[in-house]
Amino acid sequence: MTWDSRGKTAVVGIGTSKLSRKADKPLGLLALDAARAAMEDAGIAPGEVDGIVTYPDQPFLGAGNRDGEDLVTVNFLIDHGGLAKDLKWYSQISSGMIPSAFIEGVNALVAGTCNYVLVWRAMHLPAGTYGAWRSNRAGGDTQFTAPFGAANPFQWHALAYQRYMHRYGAKREHMAALVTNSRRNANLNEQAYFYSQPMGFEDYMNARMVSDPLSLFDCDIPVEGCTALILTTADRARDLKHPPAYIAGYGQQALKRPSLTTYTVDDYMACGGSTVDKIWSMSGLGPKDIGAAQLYDGFSPSTYYWLEAAGFCGEGEAWQFVQDGRVALTGELPVNTFGGSLSEGRLHGMGHLAEAVRQVTGRAGQRQIEGCDASIALDGSPMLRNAGILFTSEP
Amino acid sequence: MADLSPRPVPAPDELTQPFWDATAAHRLEIQRCTACGYYNHPPKRLCDQCTSPDLGFVPVSGRGQVYSYTVMRQTSIAGFEDKVPYTTLLVELEEQPQLLLVSTVPGDGAGIAIGQSTELWWEPIEEGFVLPQFRPIA
Ligand SMILES: [Zn+2]
Repeated sequence: MTWDSRGKTAVVGIGTSKLSRKADKPLGLLALDAARAAMEDAGIAPGEVDGIVTYPDQPFLGAGNRDGEDLVTVNFLIDHGGLAKDLKWYSQISSGMIPSAFIEGVNALVAGTCNYVLVWRAMHLPAGTYGAWRSNRAGGDTQFTAPFGAANPFQWHALAYQRYMHRYGAKREHMAALVTNSRRNANLNEQAYFYSQPMGFEDYMNARMVSDPLSLFDCDIPVEGCTALILTTADRARDLKHPPAYIAGYGQQALKRPSLTTYTVDDYMACGGSTVDKIWSMSGLGPKDIGAAQLYDGFSPSTYYWLEAAGFCGEGEAWQFVQDGRVALTGELPVNTFGGSLSEGRLHGMGHLAEAVRQVTGRAGQRQIEGCDASIALDGSPMLRNAGILFTSEP
Repeated sequence: MADLSPRPVPAPDELTQPFWDATAAHRLEIQRCTACGYYNHPPKRLCDQCTSPDLGFVPVSGRGQVYSYTVMRQTSIAGFEDKVPYTTLLVELEEQPQLLLVSTVPGDGAGIAIGQSTELWWEPIEEGFVLPQFRPIA
């Protein structure tokens, strides 16, 4: 049984601030830039936005919490956004990545709580080495890791990837196909951090290793900036400037999982499947209906895990699936058509949502997939708390 | 080369103190649930498997195998700047699937393979702490 509210809500506006390694203004102003651009894109005034939601947390150890500088909370938008005076509703979530915030907005619209929802994701890039461990005290669970020289998220992802490679026979050179494909797509995306920098097979293979088997180019590029979306009901959406991207289904990972020293890949199929199965069942669609897939790539192997967990290929086969142009713009399943977090910049999954919207509304410019009437965005790694949204051209 | 930072030292709390008391005496003890027998590591207030609060520390064999490994090349962890490249080993103890402990092995991981058996050794560090460390058996 498909979801009663399938196609009843839609994204009608997209806005992005400048994405850079060193911003010329505080994060709060970048968030307002993105929010206003999204409202303008939708053709609505700030005073018409009467519902807001975000996932504000910075995903690294020791992140600051100054509102408008280190993160941008709902309080900041209420105080500075010039939103509706009778704001009907707001929420901010702390688990399940930005699609989980997006889902809150969809539900509020379905419930008739408000007319226009603003969703944003603002990412701060602090000075110094991203996520470095600089403390000589390791408390909580870190007392079992940091004293052993393990404290960076990329080490956990490297351990998981190493085990994946061991189990299925993947080699580093196979990943080159996926990473260079994302770069080619970013070279067609003017707002991408790596817009003007191509990357070939040799560039990838010669990249500096960070934590084997992960190289620098397997890690996303941290940026400072924000992307925002405007959601509304399908009835309102039809009268606005651009074609609506209808929401056909959504899902979150909600399996009971062991709380280990570090996450492992042992249950990525089940965990990713718990998200995606809900999306297929709500929407009545399946992997074969997807015109473009935006699959989280905070670290490149996460895209492998998603390809398998979502059923685009079999378990253990993603490293073969991404070969021979199969995930290219002209391939059977275009993946991360905007360049992904690897090449556009680390918006922690918000870029994936925005690109799925563009692809189903014919707004992806040079990288538009012909006849793309369904695009899925799956954010977070499958084995962690993750969430995804499926967008369609028709309700 | 900048001055070396001090290496991170465990900051035990009520929950973890028994683990470090045991390692100081060269004993590896892992928190185990009295109700269901599940090993919880890192230690928990409530059993991960059955939510019971009846948890205690019990000795384990120290035998395990390489679950995964990664060669760390970044100088982004205090106290380990001069040790790169070193290998972070994830060891699965024989007592339970995915009962995982982290270890440090010098060098670039040459010769290490997933599934290799490991042996336990003890590394004293500052302030009287003794780290349980594992290395692959050739
Ligand atoms: Zn138990």
